[in-house]
Amino acid sequence: MTEAVHVEPVVHQAPQGFIRKYIFSLDHKVIGIQYYLLALFSVMVGMLLSVLMRFNLAWPGTEVPILETLFPVGAPGGIMTPEFYLSLMTMHGTIMVFFVLTTAPQSGFGNYFLPLQIGAPDMAFPTLNMLSFWITFVSLLVLLAAFVVTGGAPISGWTGYPPLSALGEIAGPGLGTGQTLWVASIALFCVASLLGALNFITTTIDLRTKGMSMMRLPLTVWAWFVTAILALLAFGVLLAAGVLLLLDRVVGTSFFIPAGLVVSDQMINHKGGSPLLWQHLFWFFGHPEVYIAILPGMGVTSQILSTFARKPIFGYRAMAYAIMAIGLVSFIVWGHHMFLSGMSPYSAMVFSLTTTAVAVPSAIKTFNWLGTLWGGRVRFTTAMLFAIGFVSLFVTGGVSGLFLNQPSVDIYLHDTYFVVAHFHMIMGVAAIFGIFAATYYWFPKMFARHLSERLGKIHFWITFVGVYSIFMPMHFLGVMGNPRRYAEFTAFEFLADVVPIHEFISIAAFVTIGAQLLFAVNFFWSIARGKIAEINPWSATTLEWTVPSPPPHDNFGGRAPVVHRGPYEYSVPGASRDFILQSEPEMKVVHQ
Amino acid sequence: MAQSQTEDLTLSSAWSGGASPYAMVSKKLGMWLFIVSDSLTFSALLVAYSYVRVANQDWPKPFEWASILGASIMTFCLLSSSLTMVMAVAAAQRLERKKAVVWLLATVLGGLLFILLHAREWIGLIHEGVTPFANPWGVPLFGAAFFTLTGLHMTHVTVGVLYLVVIAWGFGSARFKPEDVEVSGLYWHFVDLVWMFIFPMVYLLSAKTVA
Amino acid sequence: MQKAEAHPVKQIYLWIWVWLLTLTVVEVFLAYRHLAVMTMLVILMGLSVIKAALIMSYFMHLRYERFSLALTLIPMLIICIALLASFFPDSLRLLELRPR
Repeated sequence: MTEAVHVEPVVHQAPQGFIRKYIFSLDHKVIGIQYYLLALFSVMVGMLLSVLMRFNLAWPGTEVPILETLFPVGAPGGIMTPEFYLSLMTMHGTIMVFFVLTTAPQSGFGNYFLPLQIGAPDMAFPTLNMLSFWITFVSLLVLLAAFVVTGGAPISGWTGYPPLSALGEIAGPGLGTGQTLWVASIALFCVASLLGALNFITTTIDLRTKGMSMMRLPLTVWAWFVTAILALLAFGVLLAAGVLLLLDRVVGTSFFIPAGLVVSDQMINHKGGSPLLWQHLFWFFGHPEVYIAILPGMGVTSQILSTFARKPIFGYRAMAYAIMAIGLVSFIVWGHHMFLSGMSPYSAMVFSLTTTAVAVPSAIKTFNWLGTLWGGRVRFTTAMLFAIGFVSLFVTGGVSGLFLNQPSVDIYLHDTYFVVAHFHMIMGVAAIFGIFAATYYWFPKMFARHLSERLGKIHFWITFVGVYSIFMPMHFLGVMGNPRRYAEFTAFEFLADVVPIHEFISIAAFVTIGAQLLFAVNFFWSIARGKIAEINPWSATTLEWTVPSPPPHDNFGGRAPVVHRGPYEYSVPGASRDFILQSEPEMKVVHQ
Repeated sequence: MAQSQTEDLTLSSAWSGGASPYAMVSKKLGMWLFIVSDSLTFSALLVAYSYVRVANQDWPKPFEWASILGASIMTFCLLSSSLTMVMAVAAAQRLERKKAVVWLLATVLGGLLFILLHAREWIGLIHEGVTPFANPWGVPLFGAAFFTLTGLHMTHVTVGVLYLVVIAWGFGSARFKPEDVEVSGLYWHFVDLVWMFIFPMVYLLSAKTVA
Repeated sequence: MQKAEAHPVKQIYLWIWVWLLTLTVVEVFLAYRHLAVMTMLVILMGLSVIKAALIMSYFMHLRYERFSLALTLIPMLIICIALLASFFPDSLRLLELRPR
């Protein structure tokens, strides 16, 4: 007989006062929204940076007076210096990867909906949850401070490779205080993520309500759970790397700095270190990180496709196992970022094989999504459109990975726009589509109102066409040899012909980014004035749709739901409605 | 075709929801998960240290017998403090608050002794010219690796000492529960566990074995 | 709150402590033997792993918890540490690349 250890639900009274309710809140729903707003702010900063970058790439040497006012050192005479471009690129990458893609899908939606979907009153550690958010907030402030310190923001890319990132001011603008702030910000982010990860894992394991077995979890929960495990294991290693880099910079150690460097005509007094060590440590984290960015989007897509096709997800078990497989394999592929680093070609071969292997569970998921749509009574809401868009973009972005994972091909394509196309399709678009899809889907639950479907559809179509317009041409640019991380290409004869392509991309980018204003307007306007939503507007099956909108402080009013069935019981033959809630008790089902 | 399943909920397994599958309070599982992630941070640092050590031929082996003896005594302090910690947890579970506090304070004492001996050693090494960026025996990374690893460990010990003092106060005044003592015990043993690897890898492998 | 299995007797903790100290003494002793570097490293690491296992199983009580806990925590930790070890070929190569 197994003794049950009843996990005491976190019982705290509903908070009073503005500060306790909305600022230093312990409520996972408020924290989820705080993360989401942080990500929204960050994505706007990130998009602004990309506008500046794309402008410079298409029309280099153009004077922009406002730039001189804002950045007199980085853009003297209104023309961007190459170093300034690199600092924009570094901050764009760092902000987008960490503060948008690692926050909104996991910490934002995950925080809000994980407890609801498993029938819990809150996360396992509400205080830790609040702490995680505020540390993330401070981390963002520290990072943004790099823009305003002497020397400006660092120029070493979001990957911060030493020796460039380790040598200090002597190596270039922004590499003094700016880079130190970058490292400090990342270290803080690691701590916040680790605390958040252990919160998610403990919550999923311990706080599932009665009847909510692992194989009855919505796929969103599976995704958040596996993502949290990845975060737990990966961020620890990044923290170690960050500590070592900080020591190299501030204390004078040489973990990553080899002997014999001459920088800016000065002999560098360091020896014994290895830049390759940083690459290993960083990418050991970096690869699971990109799966952390995409897995929640996959979970949300499964959820939404099932809801709006009125069909159970095709192959639930396979989907759950595929999420686990992707998580596991994501740890053994990091070398594919290092094919050209001088790493052993035998290692390269192994990493190439494992990278090809990770495409298998991804493909299983893709086919299962298609299988879910097949024969369904599809309802094309905006959430559904973004979910289908996710599948499209995931496939497009994924297949370019199959080119890059072959070392022989990567020798040519590494550091070209082909890579830029690949990771933007996957992260900069598919993962973002996941966030949009989740927003349109769950907005009625969070704010008791609907987002405008009309604005939503316009938003979707402009964005969908827009992102393909931006990133498809980049594949061709890459194959043509157009290098990445360059401020401009005027010095290259062979790239003279592609200037129109860059102009096209930039214009497409401006239009697409402009269209995001539609989303922002829709979002904030609808909170105040959107059409009032019922409790379960999509007739969905999972537990969050059984509680009022927005849910009360303790989610289920003190009465934990009991789960009797799986998460995607749509169109069950013999049932009176075309969906059955997870918590609905026994029904008489007439079998044919 | 999809069938509505009739589940007999009286046959609940450990994983069917409503209870902790590991039969423990969430705090304990949370601490275990924290330990897993912190272990990876230390492992990454130890691997980084090993990496640079392997790549540098003239890695010094400067620790005299006095240093090794000192480090061994530090190991003894930490291991003994783990024993007293276990006693504290056992006493806490029997709700013998005073006894638990005594054992906890003994653990704290072990930790403080460790820190003092360690600080003494650090000062000695710094006097000999070992810093994070230089040392008189060759590869400057020796000092870097030494101070990084032992420094981070010492930080964890210090945090642990403070944590245990708070737990002793809280459990002694009946504010905290036995499981809180147990959770703090897990952290303390983890700190000891990390030392089990740092001691041989940093000290013993750099012991001066040739006269 | 009930424990799944019985508590170990206090005696056992004392014995574990004795074993840990003994193994430490063995390690210190070995450090002064003149063994090949690889042999020394393997033995010391092996002993450390044993000490870690003793601490985890007994002091941290892992042996007396539900087996599923150990199954959850240990494999992922071992796999990740093993993966970190795959960095070493590059450090060995670095050694070879250094000018003599």
